[in-house]
Amino acid sequence: MSDNATVGSAKLEPRAENFARRPPAPLWTRLTGAEAPILFLLLLGAWYLVTALLPLAPNSLLPSPERVLIALKESLPELLRGTWSSFLILVPGYLAAAILGVAGGLLVGTVGWLGRAFVPFARVVAPVPPTVYIPYAIAVLPTFQLSAIFVVFIGAFWPIFVSSIAGAHSLDGRHRDNARILGIEGGEFRWRIVLPASLPHIFSGMAVGLALSFVLLTVGELFGANAGLGRFVQYYADFADYPRMVAGILYTGLVTYLAMSALDALKRRLLFWVR
Amino acid sequence: MSSAPGLRVEGVCFDYGGAGVLQNVRFRLAEGEFATLLGPSGCGKSTLLRLIAGLEQPLTGSVEWHGLPIEGPSIERSVVFQDYALFPWLDIRDNVALAARKAEPALKRSEARERASELLSRVGLAEAARKYPFELSGGMRQRGALARSLATGAQVLLLDEPFGALDPLNRARLQDLLLDVWQSASPRKTFLFVTHDIDEALYLGDRIIVLGAAPGHVIADRRIAFERPRPRAELFSDQRFIALREQIAGAMSAETLAVIEAAT
Repeated sequence: MSDNATVGSAKLEPRAENFARRPPAPLWTRLTGAEAPILFLLLLGAWYLVTALLPLAPNSLLPSPERVLIALKESLPELLRGTWSSFLILVPGYLAAAILGVAGGLLVGTVGWLGRAFVPFARVVAPVPPTVYIPYAIAVLPTFQLSAIFVVFIGAFWPIFVSSIAGAHSLDGRHRDNARILGIEGGEFRWRIVLPASLPHIFSGMAVGLALSFVLLTVGELFGANAGLGRFVQYYADFADYPRMVAGILYTGLVTYLAMSALDALKRRLLFWVR
Repeated sequence: MSSAPGLRVEGVCFDYGGAGVLQNVRFRLAEGEFATLLGPSGCGKSTLLRLIAGLEQPLTGSVEWHGLPIEGPSIERSVVFQDYALFPWLDIRDNVALAARKAEPALKRSEARERASELLSRVGLAEAARKYPFELSGGMRQRGALARSLATGAQVLLLDEPFGALDPLNRARLQDLLLDVWQSASPRKTFLFVTHDIDEALYLGDRIIVLGAAPGHVIADRRIAFERPRPRAELFSDQRFIALREQIAGAMSAETLAVIEAAT
């Protein structure tokens, strides 16, 4: 009888009490947002331990974090000059690819006969790995800089072009109807309706294109540059200066990350209306 | 009845992928008339509206405005769709201003925005002018769509179940706003309002055209002769209203029965 009464009153207890009696949630579910920094610290720690504890050669391919940090600090001016020189290739190549890719893609995606002509062509040409154009570009174009710009352009162009076509093709029928009712057509239709409606597709193409640009930039610099991020890594690898080489790799990763973040910020700014 | 040369739909047939959508639809609307087009879902009433808008062409028959065949969309005829009428990347004011500039290309951007702001006040959206469609409720978006239609200066407004997705209170408010807009314009614009709600059709229109399904055809075409304004409570308890409502509902269900019998 008294047992029953206790059970009954326990049922009526406030909910907070019931929650408090639960076992604590597992650690990994309480770390939301901190996972990435933790992984980063773990990797850094592992790196430190490996170089401190393993009997590595004095100039091993895996220098210790301190040595890399010192090398990074010492070569920072050179890395900054290299960044500038790399950007003189990357920015013109990528911008040209973005402008021509978006303009061409929207045109091909909205003009019937252009689409019938270019879409099968793009299907064949777009998957060709852009690195195969490097020897050709070096042979044909007068300077190293121009051939590197061209290779970056080719690499970034196809993903942007193809995604712009896809964006134009996926235009919502209701936007098309509304535009027709208002008498919006031709260039105005492409600029005011198709372009904004295609931006989600265009941005995914631009992100792929930007990542590819960095790959092609560094690959291109291995061939003929006398400055630049890829050149820096290759140069110190040739001299077996591994702390500087690793510093160059980390620095290049940081620059790539910053460029991708900038594109992402632009995307969020322009696509605020996409829920 | 006025015999102004308004809209003429003559023997219109339309077909979508082999299935008949509309068959021999004919009616005329006088200029300045407020007509409602009532029918069950899938009877082709939206298709009929698209034909009148010029977004589609009839298979046979003709659709004429002022005696001239409608060959494509025109800013003379504006459409308000159920939702998604506004471009999501423009704020409400710029959506309306875009329409104003299409109607009057000489308008400067600032003048178009000014006109848009006036129209937005007219539909009760002055506070929300700088908001984007995704920030607004369904009712506010439809107010914006109505303001845009007004900005085009169109003489014909085609409304495709514009309040279909709204809650009853908002729907009633917007119906009254729509009537006010129609009644205060001089000269009056021609409204064709598509709905599947019989009360909405009778409350709003001067005239009701009822479509039957499979394929869509006109089964009734009546004047709605109740004087305006029409207070809802009085109208809905008026014996003549109830009789008319019964008649139309009866015609629609008889039609449905006939279709079912024909199919079995």
